[in-house]
Amino acid sequence: MKSLLLICAIFFSATLGIAQNTESDRLLGVWEPSNGKARVKIEKIGDKYYGKIVWLREPNDPNTGQPKVDKNNADATQRTVPLKGYRLLKDFKYLGKDQWDSGTIYDPENGSTYKCIIKMTDNNTLDIRGYIGVEALGRTDVWKRLEVKK
Amino acid sequence: MEEIGSEKITAGGMMVSSVIFFPRLKPWAIGLKPWAPEQKPYLFGSAFILMLFLSSVSMAQTDTTITEEEDFSMYENLYFADAGAKRFCTPKVFDLSPAKLISFGYDHQGAFGIDYDTLGAVSSGHGHFNSASGLRLGANIPVISKTNIVWQLGVNYVRTSFDGRGTTAINVLDSTLRNNGLTTAGLNTTIFKPLGEENFIIAQGAADLSGDYHFDNFTPLKYMRYSAAIIFGKKKSDRKMIGFGLSRTYRAGDLNYIPVILLNWTAPSRKWGVEMLAPARVHIRKTLSARNILLFGYELEGNSYRVLRGEATNPLGYELRRSELRFRAVWETSMYQFIWMSLQAGYRYGYSFNMDSFAPSDKEFFRGFLGDQPFAQENEFKGTWYAQLSVNLVSP
Repeated sequence: MKSLLLICAIFFSATLGIAQNTESDRLLGVWEPSNGKARVKIEKIGDKYYGKIVWLREPNDPNTGQPKVDKNNADATQRTVPLKGYRLLKDFKYLGKDQWDSGTIYDPENGSTYKCIIKMTDNNTLDIRGYIGVEALGRTDVWKRLEVKK
Repeated sequence: MEEIGSEKITAGGMMVSSVIFFPRLKPWAIGLKPWAPEQKPYLFGSAFILMLFLSSVSMAQTDTTITEEEDFSMYENLYFADAGAKRFCTPKVFDLSPAKLISFGYDHQGAFGIDYDTLGAVSSGHGHFNSASGLRLGANIPVISKTNIVWQLGVNYVRTSFDGRGTTAINVLDSTLRNNGLTTAGLNTTIFKPLGEENFIIAQGAADLSGDYHFDNFTPLKYMRYSAAIIFGKKKSDRKMIGFGLSRTYRAGDLNYIPVILLNWTAPSRKWGVEMLAPARVHIRKTLSARNILLFGYELEGNSYRVLRGEATNPLGYELRRSELRFRAVWETSMYQFIWMSLQAGYRYGYSFNMDSFAPSDKEFFRGFLGDQPFAQENEFKGTWYAQLSVNLVSP
């Protein structure tokens, strides 16, 4: 009887875990920042969330004709890394109440990395706030979910 | 860039365990012995519950995105999940010099002179100054920063202390410049409202209290001067935004209503660009790198200062219409991450240093470029070199 109770306890706690995962995993998918210049796919690795560039409106550098690279990175060794596939959202954890934090966002336009908090305002809209030190010193961008046309 | 290596990426970590491990599930794998007739039957039921649980995990973790990682072409034909979603243009173009959230600066002008006109019974004369310098502080904090509206509030403080040559003041204006200097403290706000993917409106407003006051001898708030601008524009690409509008401004010293032209443009090479809000400022930009920018151009600075309040001849005081045209080179560079230094140097041309008397009505009036209302005192503000250094926290 004890074994049955133990298994039931595991089952219920695991079920709660699934519900938690399902809620936090709503972040997964492909999203478009407000400037429409890129599309970012958010994935999960372990219990953290990451977002990488999967599409660029202007994929090639007009000067070289070659695919754009992370030429503004402060680390010179990273300046030849292609932007397509670049992971610019990193290390987000689900905080609850439709918020993911503890992560960073990288801006390839200036090579800077900012602290970032993600708030899901509805199932298809994210408020992505990059900030310096405190949230008040930041900028919010609104990202929209993309999907294949039904 | 972080390399994940061989780590499996899925829409949910649980999917890995359900898909890969479920077919191999054996009772002993979870601490149970293989089922045998002598075992109690509830163990079979327990294993069934676990199987049900694991399969439910598999169903719950379906990845709605495309799982082929390297075939980026599959992300081309995607559409907003929310059919009503709109795209809006942003206030930035490529490589624009960074917006300053917080700024601490110091401005220094070299030696110059002022030719004073007569002011009532006060005789004319020539004032000499070794320098004019002072702190420049500013903060611009985004209150709302959304796709469909950006609203920013700011404060600014500009102090100019005049270091007079010799010990004797020429006249009352010369005296108050030497003793009190000029101070401006103000509030400002900017709203960027995109109307769609291309069109936008920029609205700006500012309230400045300028005068020969100190904080222990404050100028009454009724002498606050208000500036505003509205611009209708079009962002044609990530390299070009243009706009036209109208402004109410004191940049030329006295009150003016003038048209404004906005142009932010970046060349295809991304090495050169233009940052222009004419006639207030026009700069050609040379981008050395994302963290190193040179600007060449000018800025028109000006304000109307309430000075000499309480003077026996005119207790209301006068409005000093100060305007400077600063031709300059500016170097902006990132010192450490978001902390940038701005160093500028150039020639300060004195456009206006005239005074108006509002007595007896004490009301502001519009003269414009064509008005013939006489100044109470027409002064000639001689040019000189200047330099300015500021440390800034820049916006993301």
